[in-house]
Amino acid sequence: MMVAARHGRWTAVLLAPSVGLIGIFVLVPTVLTVWLSFHRWSTQTGFGDAAWIGLGNYQDLFGIGSVGRDFRQAMANTALYAALSIALLLPLSIGFGVLVHQARLRGAGVLRTVLFSTYMVPMIAVALVWSKLYSPSEGPLNQMLGWVGLGPSPFLSSPGTALVSIVFLNVWQQVGYFTVLVVAGLTQIPDPLYDAARIDGARPARLFRSITLPLLRRTLLFSGVIALINAVQVFEPVALITQGGPIGSTNVMTYHIRRVGIERAQGGLGSAMAVALLLALVVAVAAAFALARREPEA
Amino acid sequence: MTMAATLPEAAARPRSRIATGRAALHALALAAGVAAAFPLAWMVLSSLKTPAETMRTPPVWLPAEPTLDAYAAVAGVIDVGRAFLNSLVIAGVTTAGILATSLMAGYVFAKHHFPGRGALFAVMLATMFLPPIVTLIPLYRIVGALQLDASLAGVILPNLANAFGIFLMRQFIAGVPNELIEAARLDGASELRIVFRIVAPAVAPALAALALFAFVYHWNSYLWSLTVLQGDDRQYPIVLSLSRLLSYNRSALNTGLVMAGATLAVLPPLLLFALLQRFFVKTIVSTGLTG
Repeated sequence: MMVAARHGRWTAVLLAPSVGLIGIFVLVPTVLTVWLSFHRWSTQTGFGDAAWIGLGNYQDLFGIGSVGRDFRQAMANTALYAALSIALLLPLSIGFGVLVHQARLRGAGVLRTVLFSTYMVPMIAVALVWSKLYSPSEGPLNQMLGWVGLGPSPFLSSPGTALVSIVFLNVWQQVGYFTVLVVAGLTQIPDPLYDAARIDGARPARLFRSITLPLLRRTLLFSGVIALINAVQVFEPVALITQGGPIGSTNVMTYHIRRVGIERAQGGLGSAMAVALLLALVVAVAAAFALARREPEA
Repeated sequence: MTMAATLPEAAARPRSRIATGRAALHALALAAGVAAAFPLAWMVLSSLKTPAETMRTPPVWLPAEPTLDAYAAVAGVIDVGRAFLNSLVIAGVTTAGILATSLMAGYVFAKHHFPGRGALFAVMLATMFLPPIVTLIPLYRIVGALQLDASLAGVILPNLANAFGIFLMRQFIAGVPNELIEAARLDGASELRIVFRIVAPAVAPALAALALFAFVYHWNSYLWSLTVLQGDDRQYPIVLSLSRLLSYNRSALNTGLVMAGATLAVLPPLLLFALLQRFFVKTIVSTGLTG
């Protein structure tokens, strides 16, 4: 069209910084991760010292030894963490999004800003503050549970509740972001659709089920994928507060891979774990897309 | 915003029920706002308490005599000025790099035609969905091989370009009229000059939003800094310094200390957001994304 080959040199010059940086610091490491996963390699040595062991690392991951047990527990913890996060974030963000979108609501803009502001807070601060909120005796959350005749809950200090407690702080931090995504989706639904349905006598619940939800599907699919990828990255609360415990109940993949691959310098094994995580993510995202495509018939 | 899009026309209902509905709506909104703000309010309040107050059971909500002692104690454990400077260098330089690289690449993907453009863009875009842990191990080694481990340069360099910035810029630059660019070319402007003198001002609001996203993201970023800077706490940004407060004294005595440190770390991103949140929200609404 407008720009012909005469800009070829400029095309290369302008692209070089981004493509070079992303190539060297993202694409090459991704390929290296896959390559290293077939090697025994200490992270303290050069890539040239890696020794080919075929599927050895993967056999360890799926074998009966402690390496496999820890890995599978971290995988299961991460899956549970992601599933719970998504299961809470999506409905809450729809609820808040519809709420903020109400023209009748005074201060809707303020609410949106307050909700979104938590997304600006560094995760490390979120983790520290919530560890104090969760504190068994000096924390306000158990005090409030006491007021309504519940608790006290051990929160972060019991294997049964620790992971869920981290899910809650994650949801608190991120729900405002997903709310803004839902609001963006809601503004794209044409008002005449609702008007027409109302004339036909549809009630609010029916409008929500038959118009709002179906037309939000693309937004929700996107939200779900982003929530999943964010959930896999949970690190600070685990590294600082629980160290993966109690009894491994909060040992999640990002923490586990870093501990194995960097701290214990088992680079090959850690890379195999990273590849397994990536494959699991690809499968999960593909499944989400397939599900979203199939739903209209249901 | 137009009318209440997801509820039926209020006029169809009796007046008392409308009032009840409105009240319920506002009560719900208030509850949501309080729940969102409560942890941060607790953080600030706790940072102003005396150590005795932070240890009381049941907890004291409001400090009887607010004190800044905890902040003074933070300054005794970590070099706050140094930590802020490190954070500022990491977030500032990274943001400047992202703005420049994203503008240039976004412009090419929006306005230049070349073979393989779609495929290259797709590959770049795919990296946006890659969790950092997948590349952490070899990346750590690469930065070590470049002799950049334990340095701020090592923290900054791998993040100077990212897919989100390129995607965002391409979206907005696509809307810049071709006539504007052609006119500049006829005047003999180079492509580089066009990018920074013609295109950049035309997409200024999106650039402002990208700057905020990038700055806040890299101010808050923890995993990569921790991995590169391992233990060299003179180089620590403020978010890493907080871990020193936690380990400084593992008793409840340090609650005020940790809360004061957290308050300090939270302030810059929250203030930036408060100042420029209109850009943030608008950009998300128009692209449906953040980094």
